[in-house]
Amino acid sequence: MKVRVVYRGQVKELHFEGERVRVMDVLKVMGLSKEYAFVVRGEEILEEREFLRDGEELRVVNAISGGRGYF
Amino acid sequence: MKKCYKCGLKGVVYLPQYRIAFCKEHYLEWYSRRVEETIKEFHMFTRESRVLVAVSGGKDSLSLWDVLYRLGYKADGLYIDLGIGEYSERSRIVCERFAQTRGLELHVLSLGEAIATIPEIKRLEKRPPCSFCGQLKRYYMNRFAKEKGYSILATGHNLDDESATLFSNLLAWNMDYLARQFPLLPEGKGFVRRVKPLFKLSEKENALYAFLGGIEYVEEECPFAEGASSIGYKKVLSQLEEESPGTKLRFYMDFLRRLHPLLKAQEVELRHCSICGEPTTGEVCSLCRLRERLSSKTLSSSPSS
Ligand SMILES: [Zn+2]
Ligand SMILES: [Zn+2]
Repeated sequence: MKVRVVYRGQVKELHFEGERVRVMDVLKVMGLSKEYAFVVRGEEILEEREFLRDGEELRVVNAISGGRGYF
Repeated sequence: MKKCYKCGLKGVVYLPQYRIAFCKEHYLEWYSRRVEETIKEFHMFTRESRVLVAVSGGKDSLSLWDVLYRLGYKADGLYIDLGIGEYSERSRIVCERFAQTRGLELHVLSLGEAIATIPEIKRLEKRPPCSFCGQLKRYYMNRFAKEKGYSILATGHNLDDESATLFSNLLAWNMDYLARQFPLLPEGKGFVRRVKPLFKLSEKENALYAFLGGIEYVEEECPFAEGASSIGYKKVLSQLEEESPGTKLRFYMDFLRRLHPLLKAQEVELRHCSICGEPTTGEVCSLCRLRERLSSKTLSSSPSS
């Protein structure tokens, strides 16, 4: 199955083997941790163990940011 | 997901280090209370103080400004336009829109007009951009606050920023930096008071506040921040946090409680820069020296251009 992911203003398409794909799998393939990132469907923040729907569009928010020059 | 700790409705946010969940409304309430408690605990400022919030367009600084406004503090914003192409342009627009929809005052200071843009300075500087950029921002924030009569300068530094800085200062046993690492730096010797009201909140907690509070912010990273070393430290700490929730907060709070009181910052003799009057250790401050180098570069390169 595949999902479309909006990430930092860009759209990515992610492909997975099989149909039982969870939110945490998305974070995993993107190299992100639930410690600093989360996945959103519409207005709803998804839990890590929730299953995704084939072809849906999600937003991934990565809270980590670097180099703000210790602003 | 657990039920909201406060009202028993379905939780939307789970905070592992406290082992509690919140619904949207009570998460926003918890967050504001946390900021307010921090402000009071460290005697940062009162509702009478004139606070200047340094905003970048990112989630931390805009969440800070939003929460101060909702809590009834007198807080205006300062956006420093770094002149980094489209990124700076978009960040400025986001800050302006934020201020406009809440009826708040936003000051915009153009670095390009004040001295030179970050890309222009980058051509001349050997240091990494984040290093001189941070220095320039601190200089202009302080100077601007003084000129406009703000007694407090608030920045959106979060728990991840502070614990990553602590980690890197410890790795280098940088005693002087460690002594200066504190959520409140007092006013005096040409500086206004600087405070970090979000230092107990993680980046994710700030991003959740921005998301649930409907705050539009710039998610893209500064193009010059690629590979900044602080990201590496943040990732290491987040791994420890995942294994043992609450590690970052304990690490930082125990530093403040146990080590910080034993440290003494080196007394440095500060005087006024002979050109701009801002505090400096030398005769001429580093910013004025940079300005001189910039103008000599333009003079020497002008015949060929
Ligand atoms: Zn609730
Ligand atoms: Zn100077």
